[in-house]
Amino acid sequence: MAGTLEPHLEALRRELPSPSPAVLSVLLALLAVAITFLIWRFVLGRRSSRKAVLLLGLCDAGKTLLFARLLTGRYRDTQTSITDSSAVYRVSKDKSANVTLIDLPGHESLRLQFLERFKAAARAIVFVVDSVAFQREVKDVAEFLYQVLVDSTVLKNAPALLIACNKQDVTMAKSAKLIQQQLEKELNTLRVTRSAAPTSLDGSATGGPAQLGKKGKDFDFSQLPMKVEFVECSARGSKGEEGDADFEGLEKWLAKIA
Amino acid sequence: VQGPAAAATAPVNALIRSVLLQERGGNNSFTHEALTLKYKLDNQFELVFVVGFQKILTLTYVDKLIDDVHKEFRDKYRNEFQQKGALGLLNGTFDFKDDFMRLLRDAEESSKVRAPTVMKTFEQSLKSQKTVKCMIETRGEKPKEKVKNKKNKGSKKEGIEAVAAPGKASVGEKQPSAAGEKEELTKDEILQKNREEFFKRHMKAGEKSRSPKPEAQKEKGKKPRVWDLGNSNAKVLDYSNSATNGSAEACPVEEFDPDVALGDRNREPGRLYDLEYESDDEAEEEKVIQNPSKPSTKKGGLGGMFGMLKGLVGSKSLTREDMDPVLEKMKDHLIAKNVAAEIAVQLCESVAKKLEGKVMGTFTTVTSTVKQALQEALVQILQPQRRVDVLRDVMDAQRHRRPYVVTFCGVNGVGKSTNLAKISFWLIENGFSVLIAACDTFRAGAVEQLRTHTRRLNALHPPESHGGRTMVQLYEKGYGKDAAGIAMEAISYARNQGFDVVLVDTAGRMQDNAPLMTALAKLIAVNAPDLVLFVGEALVGNEAVDQLVKFNKALADHSMAQTPRLIDGIVLTKFDTIDDKVGAAISMTYITSKPIVFVGTGQTYCDLRSLNAKAVVAALMKA
Repeated sequence: MAGTLEPHLEALRRELPSPSPAVLSVLLALLAVAITFLIWRFVLGRRSSRKAVLLLGLCDAGKTLLFARLLTGRYRDTQTSITDSSAVYRVSKDKSANVTLIDLPGHESLRLQFLERFKAAARAIVFVVDSVAFQREVKDVAEFLYQVLVDSTVLKNAPALLIACNKQDVTMAKSAKLIQQQLEKELNTLRVTRSAAPTSLDGSATGGPAQLGKKGKDFDFSQLPMKVEFVECSARGSKGEEGDADFEGLEKWLAKIA
Repeated sequence: VQGPAAAATAPVNALIRSVLLQERGGNNSFTHEALTLKYKLDNQFELVFVVGFQKILTLTYVDKLIDDVHKEFRDKYRNEFQQKGALGLLNGTFDFKDDFMRLLRDAEESSKVRAPTVMKTFEQSLKSQKTVKCMIETRGEKPKEKVKNKKNKGSKKEGIEAVAAPGKASVGEKQPSAAGEKEELTKDEILQKNREEFFKRHMKAGEKSRSPKPEAQKEKGKKPRVWDLGNSNAKVLDYSNSATNGSAEACPVEEFDPDVALGDRNREPGRLYDLEYESDDEAEEEKVIQNPSKPSTKKGGLGGMFGMLKGLVGSKSLTREDMDPVLEKMKDHLIAKNVAAEIAVQLCESVAKKLEGKVMGTFTTVTSTVKQALQEALVQILQPQRRVDVLRDVMDAQRHRRPYVVTFCGVNGVGKSTNLAKISFWLIENGFSVLIAACDTFRAGAVEQLRTHTRRLNALHPPESHGGRTMVQLYEKGYGKDAAGIAMEAISYARNQGFDVVLVDTAGRMQDNAPLMTALAKLIAVNAPDLVLFVGEALVGNEAVDQLVKFNKALADHSMAQTPRLIDGIVLTKFDTIDDKVGAAISMTYITSKPIVFVGTGQTYCDLRSLNAKAVVAALMKA
């Protein structure tokens, strides 16, 4: 038995050190292609991942107007968004840093779909809150914010979160401090109710296995893995349509994260 | 139609929210308060054109206007769109106002021309110019009558047909006028002439097919037509075996296997076994049975290949003809998955409207684009339009020291009482005390059923483990009483005793039964529950549409309030009996636009789930 194997092994051993040049060149070419592909993938992934700033929020929070103001500085009549819009935003005149602003629709039937699409590319999230209608909508705001925060991709990447309390030009607008307190209280309750909801049809729990914040204590935004800031702004601006919008806080924050 | 721009946002937003986002895009007009909005989608450049006008006006030129505006706008700003940047759209000043006014004026004028159509006298009409001979077509009386009828109808229709006429007018010039001396042909005559030409052409084409007919007619003395099945008397048609009617041998005695029928547990006769208690964590989840993924060899493999090659060659835009076969297939697929037929049709229409004219990228086939669009549309429909968090609302009501009232309604036998028990179990697990109001005073055993559930639930959650509080209690007043009255008393009892939730069980009723629907509407209007849940079974097919529409209508009609309480949510029951024919979920949410709050997947207390839109759509789209 060993005898029959020997000549075969001999033949193989003789073949290996000196393979024919054609085979060698083909192998090298394949290797080169594979390496280039991997490098290209890596670089592309690196470059395109996480360069986007998402504008999220409920319907009528003012995301599209904020988007228009940031990019052009002019006022524009806006409608309920149906699709996303994205554009490159130059942070300041001298620095070359720029981010891609993506304005997502806030309508209930679309928001999760678009969030799914863009969440992987998010370097930062601006959550726009309508400060005037906040008292009425606090539960809906909290629910959407909760859904964003327990998303596994968001938890993994931990993009910086800015909660922009919009519509501050109206006199009845709530302050950022108040909004923060109310949201913390609401999210605290939501933690309990969402994890107690009936499990989903295919087995994945609705609230996600992720627990928001620390278990024993009341929920606090500082317990989150990402940096959270609150800022007040007004997309419309105090002078209405002609004037500028006041959102220096927002612009400064964008400059910081770019 | 003129008005400040700000006034336009509210109706347009309403249009967007109710039509476009809910996939009701098949019909292209929408009424909102005093305005009617007509819209047109341009999918190539992702534009939406909306025209709004007063509802009371019937402006006939609107369709044409919107088409013209669309064309001009697209041509004028094509460059900006090619840039494909949001920045371009934001910065670009689309100074379209002058063009729009011009188009509007043209459209108005063209419609004004049409408006006064005086019936032409016989001399004026073209008919008098022609000789009688040329009027007589190939076949005897019938065609001439038809032409005459068409002409009469044509002159009546002139006032209504505005859109076709201006188009035809430009085309009609090409047609040579029969009576050459009349140089100024009015539009009506052109239309009539076109019709005659058309008819003549049809006549010539139909000559051959019509030739056998006159011969048949010329037969004198018509012979009675012998139908295959009719005429023969009933005896021939009676295929039933006359011997078996009533005799005992007809139905053979079935082998009755008592073991199989009564279950295979070793039973003591008459004993009611207790429910095996499973904790929430170990609850068996009903898995939606996923078929093992076979390598999908598509049937139209060759067609798909060619389509793909075509897609590779250049970027082609989708036309209606391309999409029609695919949409047909998808519609049949949806109907096979138990989506109601009308809903499937409307959905496919809406998807077609959304995709028409869209430019496909390379490496995508028509099928894949349509499937993708349909999938997105379905997920969009199943996403709840409002918050679905019952526990949160119960907590709110708890804080205000009033009970949270939930009413269950539905047709007979869908599982209202069973799911009521499941929901009360879930609520008790979360620490809320429940009062069950037995407002089903009609069905025999309804109250006893609820009493049994109450006893079981109390056995599972004895008062000792909840600080001495009975977690579940039944409020009943026997049979035959007025349901609305019982509900009201139950709610006040709950308020006095400090119960957190009141679950009101109503009798099942058919949606056509007017007195019962009135009674239900009265119960809901009088007691103003916090949540009105419609319980529907997942097995229902096209009936779902009828049930929901009639229930909502009854609730709206009999309510005194300005904004009537309609169905707030849906409980989808018997979900374990359908494998992946999950279409009923789509039908129900499409009709009401209300979310599916709970899904019932079995008959034990733990078989309560919440809806997962993606899983349901995946099961629906699976081949």
